[in-house]
Amino acid sequence: MADLRTLHDAILEGNAKQAAALTQEALAEGLAPLDIIQQAMVPAMDEVGRRFECEEYFVPELLLSARAMKAALEPVRPLLVASGIQPAGRVVIGTVKGDLHDIGKNLVAALLEGGGFEVIDLGADVPAQKFVEAVQSSGAGIVALSALLTVTMPSMKSTIEALDHAGVRSRVKVIVGGAPVTQQFADQIGADGYSENATAAVALARRLSQPA
Amino acid sequence: MPRHVTIEPKPGQTLSDQLFDLGVEFPCGGGSLCGGCRVRLVAGDVPVTEAMREALSDRELAVGWRLACLAQASAPVTLEVEQWSPRILTDDSRLTPESRHGLGVAIDLGTTTLVAELVDLHTGEVLGVRTALNPQGRHGADVMSRIEFDLRQPGALTSLIRRALGEMVASLASGAPLAEVLLCGNTVMHHLFCGESVEPLSHVPFHSPALEARTFTAAELGWPAPIDEGVTVLPCLGGFVGSDLLCGLLACGVHTAVAPTALLDLGTNGEIAVAHQGRILCASTAAGPAFEGGRIRMGMRAGDGAIDKIEVVDDALHCHVIGGCAPRGICGSGLVDAAAVALETGAVAPSGRLTDGQRTFPLTGPVELIQADFRELQLAKGAIAAGFDLLTSRAGLEPASLPAIHLAGAFGNYVRTASARRIGLLPCPSATVHPSGNSAVRGARGLLLSPSRRQEQLNTILSATEHIELGSDRDFQESFIEQMAFPDIAPLA
Repeated sequence: MADLRTLHDAILEGNAKQAAALTQEALAEGLAPLDIIQQAMVPAMDEVGRRFECEEYFVPELLLSARAMKAALEPVRPLLVASGIQPAGRVVIGTVKGDLHDIGKNLVAALLEGGGFEVIDLGADVPAQKFVEAVQSSGAGIVALSALLTVTMPSMKSTIEALDHAGVRSRVKVIVGGAPVTQQFADQIGADGYSENATAAVALARRLSQPA
Repeated sequence: MPRHVTIEPKPGQTLSDQLFDLGVEFPCGGGSLCGGCRVRLVAGDVPVTEAMREALSDRELAVGWRLACLAQASAPVTLEVEQWSPRILTDDSRLTPESRHGLGVAIDLGTTTLVAELVDLHTGEVLGVRTALNPQGRHGADVMSRIEFDLRQPGALTSLIRRALGEMVASLASGAPLAEVLLCGNTVMHHLFCGESVEPLSHVPFHSPALEARTFTAAELGWPAPIDEGVTVLPCLGGFVGSDLLCGLLACGVHTAVAPTALLDLGTNGEIAVAHQGRILCASTAAGPAFEGGRIRMGMRAGDGAIDKIEVVDDALHCHVIGGCAPRGICGSGLVDAAAVALETGAVAPSGRLTDGQRTFPLTGPVELIQADFRELQLAKGAIAAGFDLLTSRAGLEPASLPAIHLAGAFGNYVRTASARRIGLLPCPSATVHPSGNSAVRGARGLLLSPSRRQEQLNTILSATEHIELGSDRDFQESFIEQMAFPDIAPLA
């Protein structure tokens, strides 16, 4: 009998190999994909987030857990799609034009996936037009923008403007984050939400994807 | 002793302007974001604003702490500002000159500090030195915030720095005619002094088309006295790596060394060069202000009251405090010592976490480190170690096999090698570490004293140098994450 507790701990400890193997085992034994996610993966990533918030975990531990989570999710994802199970929401994420920092953005992407979101990661130095195209083709409900440099923050504004020009702004919620970004700046550029750290970003995305 | 100043209100100047003129730095450029410009009210009234309430705790406000960047007063006030008396590194070595007459000035135009030397071109003797804080500091502590400010208010930083250096040069020369002035500085300092656009440095790929040396007449800079051969700003090496590192390479003889050699300048904008078999690889890496005490809760510059050295004697912590007064905070070298001690005693795990559920690492008196301080140090140390790691491997070297490493800059001069090794900041166990002081100004002086060989020396370095942009490098990001952790056990040294 596959042990979901061990899978939970493997993700918590950032052991990608073990996490993937345990997931395979659980699937082979006929456990439902959704049960594996809800009983092992989501609580594990919640715990990772909690440890990060109380300063027990730092960026390296968080990334290792995220990597283990991704490895565990790999065999489950096609089954979810095949059985028509809807994700918590679909998020297009990227670091804005001019900025190459992607560690923070990767953290948010991993935690969102851990939170049950489908994440379309456009990478770093992403032109506004690419965000527009990704929203149009994926039908994502949330666009998450990251910037680590004060000098690239204006690219967040121009990305929101490009979404507006393309007529898709009203279809999506835009959330922003990154070291120099503040709530005040988010309000100024007309973003729908701002989060100070990666774990709060998941809660924010959950809140914004609730039907109004 | 803490320095108390009494300030009278002046028309047309806020208290904040006057405090800046007194040397209080505004690390975030006066945006009330960082709390780094705090001063303590001793007498009089400085009203607490909403933003101060956010940056400071009730207890801090109650004992008089205020943010200098927002300070206003309508009557005379007395403030304690001693926290802000940085040690600025000068250089007192002698160099042999070529035969030439007259006086020249060599300048290290740093992001934080300015150092200008008046040099007798015949004897090579340094006749006088002036140091000052870079007045641009009012508008942000690091190069990125300066760029952002310049894009919003073009030209303001250029006139500030030209005026400040003009005054330093005039006061050094005190009326005597000058033959030549040579300046070195990082790429942003170069561009702002020259009046070049910093826009290309504000986004990837950070390539500026204007890296060359530039020569100005005194009149073009608005300096009153003529300078025969003009004022020359030395050429940049690439990206954010400027002529300060170039001069450092010359001063430390890195370019002529037979064995592989590295030069590290551990400032806010860390600059690294690794020389091997006629090639010099260089890069800059954003280490942040932790090494200068920035973004550390009780962090401060290396001034009176700062813990700058920590040792364990008979199982007890011994903290050395600059100026022999009561401890008020901790500077960069103290922080590295503290982390090394905490790792040795097991108070901090290699992951950087405080062990046994502790929330703080007490040092002495009121000074303690919190978990977030260790995290800040991990980011700074990780950025430097990852850059160093990447450059050595690109140069075809094992970091462990590097025989010599030069440390430039104030922090590099005061940090203890054993502690830097223990926390993994210098991941090269067998290298001999040479603190090389202000190698930038020494290199600039060397060039000032060898006019006939100058171009050849510059060409040697420029043609051997390759700049590597770390931000866009996959290997760097991977290594950065790995290097955030502290080494498990003390390296053999």
